[in-house]
Amino acid sequence: MDVLFFAIFMALFAGVFAFLGYLGYKKTKTAEDYYVAGRKMGPIVIAFSYGATFISAVALIGFSGISSVYGHSLLWLAFLNIFVGILIAFIFYGFRTRKMGLSLKALTLPELLGNRFNSTKLQATSGLIIAVFMVFYTTAVFLAIATLFEVTFGIPYWICVIVFTIVVGLYLIVGGLYAVMWTHAIQGILMLIGMVILTIGIYMMLGGIGPAHEAASMLTQEDLTSMGWTSIPSGFTTLTSFPELFSPAYMLLLTLIFGVGIGVLAQPQLIVRYLSAKSEKALRRAIPYGGIFILLMTFTAFSIGPLSNVLMINNGLSYPGTPDKVVPLIVNELFPEWFVVLFLFAVLSAAMSTASALFHTAGASIGRDVFEKSLMKKCSEKKSLLITRIATLGIVFATLIISLNPPDVVAILTSFFFGLMACTFLAPYTLMLYWKKISRFGAWFGMLGGFIFTMGWYVLIYFKTAPELIGRSLTENYLINMLDPIFIGLPLSFILTIIFSFLIKQDNEEIKSMNLAFENI
Amino acid sequence: MALILGMDFFVFIAWIGTILAAIFCVIYGIYYEYIKKSNNDKDNSSKSINKNKKEVQ
Repeated sequence: MDVLFFAIFMALFAGVFAFLGYLGYKKTKTAEDYYVAGRKMGPIVIAFSYGATFISAVALIGFSGISSVYGHSLLWLAFLNIFVGILIAFIFYGFRTRKMGLSLKALTLPELLGNRFNSTKLQATSGLIIAVFMVFYTTAVFLAIATLFEVTFGIPYWICVIVFTIVVGLYLIVGGLYAVMWTHAIQGILMLIGMVILTIGIYMMLGGIGPAHEAASMLTQEDLTSMGWTSIPSGFTTLTSFPELFSPAYMLLLTLIFGVGIGVLAQPQLIVRYLSAKSEKALRRAIPYGGIFILLMTFTAFSIGPLSNVLMINNGLSYPGTPDKVVPLIVNELFPEWFVVLFLFAVLSAAMSTASALFHTAGASIGRDVFEKSLMKKCSEKKSLLITRIATLGIVFATLIISLNPPDVVAILTSFFFGLMACTFLAPYTLMLYWKKISRFGAWFGMLGGFIFTMGWYVLIYFKTAPELIGRSLTENYLINMLDPIFIGLPLSFILTIIFSFLIKQDNEEIKSMNLAFENI
Repeated sequence: MALILGMDFFVFIAWIGTILAAIFCVIYGIYYEYIKKSNNDKDNSSKSINKNKKEVQ
């Protein structure tokens, strides 16, 4: 692949985004403009921004690769992505979050928690947890996309990382959430075009939906081994049928489907999108666009993964070694060169959109939640913006430094970001929206209980992370060590929140905050 | 087990369920946009909430 392509497209990309960053800068006058785009966003931009933030390069490349190994059973995750990630999220969380955010004048998730429970310490602690883990998550996003570009274009990894970080960092710091959400709309369109063409192309090569799925169902374990699969997951049946009940393959799918499928509800970078809506009507209108967007992203990605095996066998290609390389191999070998470039930039769009949302949320967490609200207490709008811009610059710089020399632990931390956020924030966040009796102490115990349990589970038990961190898991029983902590950590967090809310009740200040929060609900 | 569109029953349910969930999103949008118009009056835009707050203060 020619480096010239990279340079031209990258310059075009950077130019468009810099222009949008400039427009965002012109519109950003207040802190509200920077953090939640002035609460003026319409349905299409909200839907695309939510979708583009949600779907990263890891979802497109990594998860389609995983579905090439575990088959179409992963479509249950696509179902949850729409049912939970769009319908439940917008209807049961979005509307109330927006109303409560307006009443409490909250611009971030930590600020929503802090104002609802009248606690700046809770706000600062939440902000710190979010910022630290988001830096690693963003690093992993850049690591994946820079590696893909290095392999395809032959451009050194470090140049890719520096270029991507500077481009994203620039339009984000200058233009705030306006620039982030507008660029998301463009990036989302590119992602849609790339995935739709890829999916249609693969189904056409295999003769349509029925014949393609039947061809995948007929592949035997011997076929897959002869193609280059080094191991078949224990409990694997076929690419179009569910694994044996409670087998290791079944447990892994269960972990992925519920960890990511439920975890989406408590992602701070997604919750900001509700706060940016100009009206409840805009959020309602975003639901159909969001549903279609996710359908054309994850449903297509998880559908084509298993079919890639049929294409590899039909075209005499060998399995590339790791699941991450399956879809890039198919695109490189079987699609015309123009599409290879288009697809790479669609994946780059997915990476950039997620990274910019993460930078923005992490910067806001440090700037507004930790420094401004907890350490400085009161400051002017201008100073507030300056602090967050400096904090975001610091986050971008920290990500760049870690990305240039990423420790192994980065990939591990990423794998549990969704689960960790869900076990830490979902219980206090959900109960805060629906239960008037939840107290500050209940929120503290629920949040920290979920966080500590999840971290402990990942370090000591979980089969992917424990061996990397402490040498081996404390238990060899795969029914336990393959279980995502969300299955225990989330109920535990809910129980702790409820019990401690009953044990240590709200004080008068909290009751005032609660009344204010429910003022418009 | 008989296959439906090349998938076993449990996988097919996920496949069709995903499409139906997306269709439901569209129907939800259409319902609130064109059928349940009365709710639009109750819609609290950020401006109206801010106005109310000022009035209360």
